[in-house]
Amino acid sequence: MDHANIDKDAVLYNLLTPLPRGYNISECLTCGACSSRCTWFDGEGGPLPRQIIRMAAMGLDEHLVNSHMLWDCLICNRCTQACPMGITMDKVVTKARSLAIADEKIPHDIKKGIQNRLELGDVNALTREEFVETVEWVSEEFADEMADPRAEIPHDIKGAKLLYLPNPRELGASLLHLTAMAKLFYATKESWTLSARHTDVTNWGYFVGKDDVIRQMALMVVEPAEELGIETLVLSECGHGYHVLKYLLETIIGRKPGFEVISIPEFILRYAKKGVLKFDPGTHPYKIAYHDPCNISRKSGGYDAPRELLALVCQGVVELTPNREDAICCGGGGGLLQNSTSNGKRMITGKPKADQMRATGLTHLATACLSCKRQLGELSDHFKLGIAVETVAALASESLIL
Amino acid sequence: MKNNIPNILVIGGGVAGMAAAQTFAHKAVIVHLVEKQPTLGGHAAMWACMATDTCQNCGACLSCEMADQVLKQKNVVLHLNTRVNTIQQNHQGYEVGLENQQTFGVKKIIMATGFSPFDPVQIPSLHADTHENVITTAQLNTRLKQETLSGLFNGKPNPKIAFLQCVGSRNREQGRDYCSQVCCKISMRHANKLGYLYPEADITLFHMDLQIIGKEARPMFTALSKNITLVQGVPAEILENPDTRMLTIVAEDQETQSRVTRAFDLIVLSVGMLPSRELETTCGLLDIHPNSWGFFNTDPAMVPSQDILVAGCAKGPKDILSAQQDGRIAAARVIDDLGVTPDKQPAIAVLGNGAQADQTARMICSKGYPTYLFGPGTGLSKETPVIVLKDSNIISISGTGGNFSLFYRTGKEKKILACAAIIAAVEPAATLKKIATLANESLSLEAMAQIIDKTPTDCPDHMAILLDYAGPEYKSSARLALELAIRAKALGKNSAIIMNKMLVHGASGQRLYDTARQQGVDFFRFEHPDDIDIQDSGNGFLITLKEATLPSIALHLHCDGLVLPPVIRPASEFKAVAALLRQPLDTEGFLQSANTRHRLTRSPRNGIFFAGSGHDETDPEDLSNEIAEILSTFSASSLDVPGADPGVEINEKKCAQCLTCLRICPHAAIVMNEKKRPQIVPESCFSCHLCVSNCPAYAIESKELTNDQMARKVKKDTIVILACERSAALAANDLVLADPINLIPIPCACRVSSDVILKALLNGAERVIVSGCHDGNCRSVDGSHVAEASVKKVLSVPGLPAAKVVWEPVAANETRKFERIISKAQE
Repeated sequence: MDHANIDKDAVLYNLLTPLPRGYNISECLTCGACSSRCTWFDGEGGPLPRQIIRMAAMGLDEHLVNSHMLWDCLICNRCTQACPMGITMDKVVTKARSLAIADEKIPHDIKKGIQNRLELGDVNALTREEFVETVEWVSEEFADEMADPRAEIPHDIKGAKLLYLPNPRELGASLLHLTAMAKLFYATKESWTLSARHTDVTNWGYFVGKDDVIRQMALMVVEPAEELGIETLVLSECGHGYHVLKYLLETIIGRKPGFEVISIPEFILRYAKKGVLKFDPGTHPYKIAYHDPCNISRKSGGYDAPRELLALVCQGVVELTPNREDAICCGGGGGLLQNSTSNGKRMITGKPKADQMRATGLTHLATACLSCKRQLGELSDHFKLGIAVETVAALASESLIL
Repeated sequence: MKNNIPNILVIGGGVAGMAAAQTFAHKAVIVHLVEKQPTLGGHAAMWACMATDTCQNCGACLSCEMADQVLKQKNVVLHLNTRVNTIQQNHQGYEVGLENQQTFGVKKIIMATGFSPFDPVQIPSLHADTHENVITTAQLNTRLKQETLSGLFNGKPNPKIAFLQCVGSRNREQGRDYCSQVCCKISMRHANKLGYLYPEADITLFHMDLQIIGKEARPMFTALSKNITLVQGVPAEILENPDTRMLTIVAEDQETQSRVTRAFDLIVLSVGMLPSRELETTCGLLDIHPNSWGFFNTDPAMVPSQDILVAGCAKGPKDILSAQQDGRIAAARVIDDLGVTPDKQPAIAVLGNGAQADQTARMICSKGYPTYLFGPGTGLSKETPVIVLKDSNIISISGTGGNFSLFYRTGKEKKILACAAIIAAVEPAATLKKIATLANESLSLEAMAQIIDKTPTDCPDHMAILLDYAGPEYKSSARLALELAIRAKALGKNSAIIMNKMLVHGASGQRLYDTARQQGVDFFRFEHPDDIDIQDSGNGFLITLKEATLPSIALHLHCDGLVLPPVIRPASEFKAVAALLRQPLDTEGFLQSANTRHRLTRSPRNGIFFAGSGHDETDPEDLSNEIAEILSTFSASSLDVPGADPGVEINEKKCAQCLTCLRICPHAAIVMNEKKRPQIVPESCFSCHLCVSNCPAYAIESKELTNDQMARKVKKDTIVILACERSAALAANDLVLADPINLIPIPCACRVSSDVILKALLNGAERVIVSGCHDGNCRSVDGSHVAEASVKKVLSVPGLPAAKVVWEPVAANETRKFERIISKAQE
């Protein structure tokens, strides 16, 4: 049996206890609600959420850091959704990950991505020149496709109304997604732009709980956007990006940003409600199930906009069971998807999600996060679900009536 | 003249409201009792009987009897099926308008608006509304009462059943950071009942901190813990296995250190108590602001007038007996305020050796009663008019309520004290458990309190308080432990509490526990005392702990002050006190039986009362409530005013002076008169008729229930049911009983003798069913035993088939069971 001394001088305990509600580990009632609600499958190998909180409360930093639970946790907050004391798991786990003694436990890919982002502005190490080159090339393609020279993907336009913050994948593996989004902006007839100074909606500082990194990355978005003088920052479909840049932004930078932040599905829905954007639901002549990205739904309250938008572009939205605040994580949260060594593990963490998807009996599923989309697609392949997975905004773009 | 009779409004016909109304029974006061339902009884009347082979002391059946009595009470004006619509204050009091357009004026208002059970539909992950087999404790009660539970198991003899505690309680995020107090006991009783009904059932109780509090709860828990699985940690989500449709929950498994799925046939949500909507409405009418939870704000500054009182669960969660107590206390306050108390204030004797007896004597005396304390009275100031009879030994007590003679000896002198009532407030023995293997001295909670009070600089830097180590903790110790841990923390020290469970018991306890955790007091749980190892370490201790929430790590905790709560045991003098009072001890050896007919403070013997932790777990607040309840009895009526005619008398010509009656009377209501003959004292007689059925000379005669009179009620070829008026006969109230059912109400099952049964059979009864209270619930103590023995005696007659005469315990709230017994008898 392992031995440990109760340590009131432990770093994590003293880091957490002065912080506001959410970090309040010593208030844990040990009611056990969290342990019944972990997204992981039941059985050996999964995290025991209550033990994470208890280790933190007793000052057992080393035990927590050395536990598989630290990086197995998907920080989806499903466990602590039911916490009677309002303790929030993502806050506790990410702070534990931020400890100096936990540094070597940070997955290499995440460490590298953070370094890339801080040094080069992009997690994938895309340089500013490469960014401009890529965007301008895609822009030309887009103008051809639209057969309209005014159709373009602009960048660094001062005074534009909208700034679109893409997912890094949209400048790499998923260029078509960028085009699809450009089509939507084009249809709104609003002035919009990208910025070469921050290519990226992600904030991997959140995964490692380092406040200075989170803040620095957030400012990398906020300051150039303010310099461009935009009205609205439109976030690409990204779970943790939404949570950090929309839900937590004011706390992180300590002030209101000089612009409004919304996600692309929220943006599209707004223009659909105004009657500016019109969709043909016949493009998708079937029902589509909707997966709640934890970061957008449970952690930020963004339940409705993606559903409302999805309903406009297909034959009806089908709910997974359970959903909304009780939704099950895709299995790729908490940095798992950003860590290439955990690809196998993701098919284990995603098993409950796959079961849930299968139970719909449908062939199509949508979500509002590109990371969830990737994980869900891989689950569909791995478990032979035969379910096509797409993001809500991409489906909207397909259904757009120009 | 009638105009001078004060009118009182009681809002709510539940336990507290009924208890208040009953307290006015002998008063020139008109009680307007308003109840929104068409019947009296409140929630308690909807609860099922929890008895197994014995009564489990829940008190639910009492509400049926109370309702029956209030309906017959002459000075009660019932307003059923209606609500209070308007209340206007005027110079005489309040003008009350009801929904049904009636209006009347009242001087005082007692709000007894009760509670609402938490509706778990608010927690979607529990699927209370979508799955038939997820039910609340309230719904389980209905099913038990209606005997429709089996339907949920599809005939399975071994259903798997889970109880989830604290649903809707102890949740700060949802704005209910209080413990509802009653739910743990309710679930323990339910689990017990289900285990009795389905002996092969596999029952698991998931709890946060099982609140094992009270004299009836501890023995119940000890027995129950052998038959069910107890799991600390309450799952917050219920799922359904899509293939088997069985309900599943995920829980931590201690052995494999993993989360495992467990399947159940039935999941019972032990729901907490919320304020009732009536309270909100009524508060609105009176411009009173409820507290942050929505319960009545008892802070005197928040109550606009002393003419507005509150009773029962309107104040916060309470069990049935406490709600009854609270109703009595509120009514007594009204009686005292109106000055309609009995003319004389008789002498009261208090027995007791400690602070609780001192407090009891002080409070009784402060109300103007000449008070005599048999005990040291060291806590009483010199100014107090309490007469302290220290170093006095009571030799015997004779007489009845209102007229006791207490024979005692002071030194060599023998004296007699005449008093109206005797309150036993003898404290239990409290000793410090010593951990034999340790050389270093541990401290008692009391000693630690002294240090923090008087010499805070001596407070240890690292204090550890060890609860539940010598058996289930007492709530007073848990409370003190929390207070000390918080105070040590405020002195800049570290404090830890090591426990099996925290007895928060109610709102203030939960707040204290929350504060302690907030201040950084450490809490550690253990499953079993064997999981703790304590060694000397320098001047302090090294505690090695297998912590229940982290069982794979051996935790080391250093402390320089180890604090142990007292081990509370029955005091050595309890036996003698019980013998003097002619009252039994309970199963643990504490004063007073657990019988709900007389608790919280009374006894079967008129004028004998109990207060303090010698008879039950009491914290300071409980003790003052107990004393207030005892005082309410004195305010309500003189103990020596005859009640209804008991209907029994001793025929001196027939009496052989064998004194059987005097010996067996469960109420000690038969005394020797000046002529050295036994005499029934009407005001202390409960009219149980045990003396009638047991007098060897047939000398004790009943006015209406002689053997012959009873036999004459027997019609040929009928099924005769001899039914106790307090239980079975009440259960039959709602049934239409046609031939061949012939129900004969009797005052107590102990009226039944073999003679009565045999006469009924001789008069042509097809069958005789004797039906009374469950064992342990008889107001006259042993009625069920007497009746059962009589049945057995008759059945020993050769050739008599067993089905001919049966004993069936049926509580007042077991109508469906009674119906079943009748139809079975008719087959």
